[in-house]
Amino acid sequence: MQLALFSIFSLLMLAFALGVILLRNPVSCAMSLVMSFVALAAVFVTLDAYFIAVVQVLVYAGAVMVLFLFIIMLLDLREEKRRRVRLSAWVGGGLVVGGFLSALTQVITALPALDVVKPVVSHPMANDVALVGFALFRNFNLPFQIIGVLLLVSTVGVVLLSKKELK
Amino acid sequence: MIPPVALEICVVCLGIFLLMAESFSFKSNKVTLAHGAIFGLVCVFILSFFIETNPVAMQDSGFYVVDGLSLFFKRFALLATILTLILAIDYLPIVQRLVPAERPEAGSGEFFILPVFTCAGLMWMASAADFIMIFCALELVTISLYIQVAYTRRSLASLEAGTKFLVLGALSTGFFIYGITWIFGMTGETNLAVIQKNLSIVPEANHTAILFGLAMVLVAIGFKIAAAPFQFWVPDVYQGAPTPITAFLAVASKAAGFLILIRVLQPFFVLESFQAKLILVLLLLAALTLIYGNLAAIPQTNFKRLLGYSSIAHAGYLLVGLAAIGDAFAGRAVVFYLSGYFLMTFLAFLVMVPVTKATGGDDLSHFNGLARRSPGLALAMLIAAASLAGVPFTVGFFGKFFVFEAAMNQELYLLVLIGVITVASGFYYYFKVIRAMYWQPAPEGCGAVAVSPLSKLAIGLCTLLILVLGFYPQLLIRFLP
Repeated sequence: MQLALFSIFSLLMLAFALGVILLRNPVSCAMSLVMSFVALAAVFVTLDAYFIAVVQVLVYAGAVMVLFLFIIMLLDLREEKRRRVRLSAWVGGGLVVGGFLSALTQVITALPALDVVKPVVSHPMANDVALVGFALFRNFNLPFQIIGVLLLVSTVGVVLLSKKELK
Repeated sequence: MIPPVALEICVVCLGIFLLMAESFSFKSNKVTLAHGAIFGLVCVFILSFFIETNPVAMQDSGFYVVDGLSLFFKRFALLATILTLILAIDYLPIVQRLVPAERPEAGSGEFFILPVFTCAGLMWMASAADFIMIFCALELVTISLYIQVAYTRRSLASLEAGTKFLVLGALSTGFFIYGITWIFGMTGETNLAVIQKNLSIVPEANHTAILFGLAMVLVAIGFKIAAAPFQFWVPDVYQGAPTPITAFLAVASKAAGFLILIRVLQPFFVLESFQAKLILVLLLLAALTLIYGNLAAIPQTNFKRLLGYSSIAHAGYLLVGLAAIGDAFAGRAVVFYLSGYFLMTFLAFLVMVPVTKATGGDDLSHFNGLARRSPGLALAMLIAAASLAGVPFTVGFFGKFFVFEAAMNQELYLLVLIGVITVASGFYYYFKVIRAMYWQPAPEGCGAVAVSPLSKLAIGLCTLLILVLGFYPQLLIRFLP
């Protein structure tokens, strides 16, 4: 049952991800990305990671992508024009993707068993949010602080690079 | 005695203080900010000699190591940032012209502040002992560099460089995360020391998967250190970025990449089956990088682009040192090479910025007749070029010598042969600068090139160190971890 759900949602996610690349209308691309994020959230649920699933929907599918959609609509982008892709680009891209896929299949077939049993959650109703908070602020405090500095730098950068006339 | 984390905290606080000072003191001259930043960083550099070497509190966190290597690279990052800021002060008029602003000095303050935050990221990277920590610090460094590369956004080249850097940087981040995921899945850990411990219990069948993850991580680091075949972003980004940032990228970002490479490979070298494969990969990367970097540099006519290709070539020599890591001296040879590379690259950029300002461009032809206009600058550039090429009695010679010696001890004869041949081609393209300076006539009506006192000091120090270390390399070797 769980495996079936996992496969369905991962296939959905991949299909919508393909849509992001292949569709020509920017709005449909953004909507596909939203759907891909939602399917990813469902995959997280099948893995018992409820908190991440909720955050995925709230932050990525909800806030970030809706903002994206607003911007796309405000900019009034038209459909992408068909581009001619050079033969060398096809060959190069094909080689990279083919090499990557063959390496990946080799790795996966070399693995002894794919039917690893998922570890049972110790306490099914564990307080996810509190646990994530504890982990972030206790065990991972230092990387967390670095991310804080990173956000400060990117905020400064956004203002610098996007403001029409700096004052 | 102060705890080691205080160094990074000081640098971040300095950055935040400068940001505040920038936004609340409208009238002030922006160069004051740069002087403040340089002063603060020098203070942190001095502080770094007074920290506890064996702190108890940091042992069990697992994210942060304090050892000789990390301390050495922290000082390296601090000095690189200081020199970048000195370059940036000289480069200020060009930045002010190329940033859209209401008043000319608006929007130029952050040009001096962002490198401070990058420096903090580099210092954290030097101490990172966990994949999560490495990743966070690396992102801090790269994201702040994206901004700095695209900073002069009225210049199309700078914008193009920023976009290219952003897209390829994001790609390499993707590879990095994907690789870490595989390694985490197979060993159950992100901490490098614990990974080393767990590797011996991981069943044989899972080794391919670990190697696959490690290969992805290597691809990502390959982007950072600009090793072929992941080097294609380098020439455009180096040419388009503001010159001080190009120097910062070429030295600090590359050195940090090599440090991460050393740290990440260390635990995996323990298993013999891994060691042979990894060394083979490093050999291939080194040979490709050497050949590509040196041959592609030959036809270049733009000096920044030439230095970009030369930085690819230097990554190749450094990789030769890493491939010979079995030799007892190889690690120190790599660090020595990086220090020498630091001096000569910054010297070349320190000469280039005033020349660009005076002549309005950074093609090789803009250096025409520099020897007659300002003999001092030309002499400094001569020494930088000689050292980059590896002429004896400069630090560049000993860097290459030590690396090749380690490779010879490991019986990597073919690689050394490729190295020696590419050094010869290096002589040719560095000579082009010297020829422009000494044999070409200067354009009409140009006087001496003006150099600020701080730059003069930096140029003098770099030149002196290159020559002194060219005679007495032991002076530096004693300090190496």
